[in-house]
Amino acid sequence: MKILLMGHPNVGKSAVFNRLTGANITESNYPGTTVDYTVGYTIIGGQEYEIIDVPGTFSTEPKDEAEQVALDILADNEDATVISVLDATKVERGLYLSLEIIEEGFPVVIALNMWDDAEKRNIHIDLERLRKVLGVPVVPTVAISGKGISELAGQVPRAERVDLKELKRRIESL
Amino acid sequence: MKFTTEERWKLIDRIARETIEYGGEETTTKSILAELTVKPATGIPFAVAILYGFWSFFGSFAGFFTDGFFVRIFDEYWLPWLQGVFPYEGSWLYYILVGDPEATNSFEAFGMLTSGLFVAIGIVLPAIIAFYFIITLLEDSGYMPRLAVLVDTFLHKIGLHGFAVVPMILSLGCNVPGVESTRTLETKKQRFMMMILLSIFIPCGAQIGVMLSLIPEYTGYIMLYLMVGFFVFGFILNRVIPGKSPEIITDVPPFRAPEPQNVQRKMMTKIKGFFADAIPFVLLGVGLVNVLYLGGVIDWLSDLFAPVFTTWFGVPKETVIPLISGFLRKDLAVAQLSAIDMTGFQLITSVVLISIYFPCIATFSMIVKEGRKSGGVLRVLGGSLLVLGVVVFLWGGLLHLLGMLLGVA
Repeated sequence: MKILLMGHPNVGKSAVFNRLTGANITESNYPGTTVDYTVGYTIIGGQEYEIIDVPGTFSTEPKDEAEQVALDILADNEDATVISVLDATKVERGLYLSLEIIEEGFPVVIALNMWDDAEKRNIHIDLERLRKVLGVPVVPTVAISGKGISELAGQVPRAERVDLKELKRRIESL
Repeated sequence: MKFTTEERWKLIDRIARETIEYGGEETTTKSILAELTVKPATGIPFAVAILYGFWSFFGSFAGFFTDGFFVRIFDEYWLPWLQGVFPYEGSWLYYILVGDPEATNSFEAFGMLTSGLFVAIGIVLPAIIAFYFIITLLEDSGYMPRLAVLVDTFLHKIGLHGFAVVPMILSLGCNVPGVESTRTLETKKQRFMMMILLSIFIPCGAQIGVMLSLIPEYTGYIMLYLMVGFFVFGFILNRVIPGKSPEIITDVPPFRAPEPQNVQRKMMTKIKGFFADAIPFVLLGVGLVNVLYLGGVIDWLSDLFAPVFTTWFGVPKETVIPLISGFLRKDLAVAQLSAIDMTGFQLITSVVLISIYFPCIATFSMIVKEGRKSGGVLRVLGGSLLVLGVVVFLWGGLLHLLGMLLGVA
């Protein structure tokens, strides 16, 4: 079983990866350090998962080498579950990529990372409503301190493909 | 079924409106500081202060350990002890491993176990620890993107954009990750330019460390001459090389306090890498040069290149020695200059030549590796070698000319 960690550059993807795998890799918060992808392993509910830390990308239309690598990895792992990592202070922007991945037919779990920053900036997100409308698990995390990571892992087996017509209907009837 | 871009944004807009509520943001010290560091009027002095602070830290940290500690250990204990106990004085083995039996300091003995170990551990290790510490702080605090924003306009003049500052700063630690990080630039033209410019003009932390230890009074001039070269040739390459140099739009992430654990982990990885990759190369370099010396190859090469060295560049013909080992390690090459008798200006010229004549083997292999993704190995290598040849002759010769005009060469 495979998990792909995907998201924009600088959303703390590598931090989530480190927390999930405990692997000895490093992270930085300026764009472009995650060009080579990293693989680690973790066990969720007795099942071993291979986790790939996919290079940061903004959309599924590649603009540079690193983004191309990201899409190649996505294309090579059709049976994977994707953890889509978002910056909780910039949810709209991150959702574009999440939506694209959902459209590709991957089961997705959304991690709203840097949740503490969002709280500090008085950004309130209605998690329950977001989960319902998207039809995917949405977990707030603070990867740098490890908050929310075990819940995130716990949601991976529950992720399912989303029916796009239903999704559209749900969004429009909000 | 898939959505169109427009549909997707519409749906997201809808979701966001219904589920996210933005409260007002309070002004904090952090947000004020964040603002001040990107506005040119305040940001540039701030950047100068930060970089100057780091440079001073680097100098005093490396100086403290090298001069105050390692120089004594190596010169007063290690060198005399080794010269005393090592058997077979006068043999080739003694020459290669210990070097000059009469030497009184570890710079000039030039054996693998004397100068080799001294350069690697006594000088370069403190220098790169200080450098990596600085670079890690720059990265993890979120200051790097701010620096990128500040220098953006300036770098556009040479066909690059602000984020090219990242490979530049990384290269000051080591050219290898510098070349590797050119991947984040968008076009082949930018990647090629950056790779070649940084591998020629940006001296690595190890080399700077040796420079500061050997010729602190000239280090500033050398750095200045190299930096000017960087921009002059950047300007020319930008005109000559076809291709695009796009504008970049980026967000500046908020400042964060670097996590001590993360800083420590990064430093450990890099220091481990140094022990595994760099030290064997330094020792190998010393050994190789000694063997070539014993075999008479060095003398032959010095005579062969003597006309070029003495007339065009104005440096002694023995400069061929450090240029050979410079292919293995630039820090070692600079250290070897101490054994050659020359004037101050010749020293400056030689260090400039060592920096620009050819990248070290580790950087060279990284260029080959990255070249595959930036327009093909042959094109990148061919282009690099061409630029390199032109730069070495012009920029090295120009320095000689300047020296003659100033009456010091």
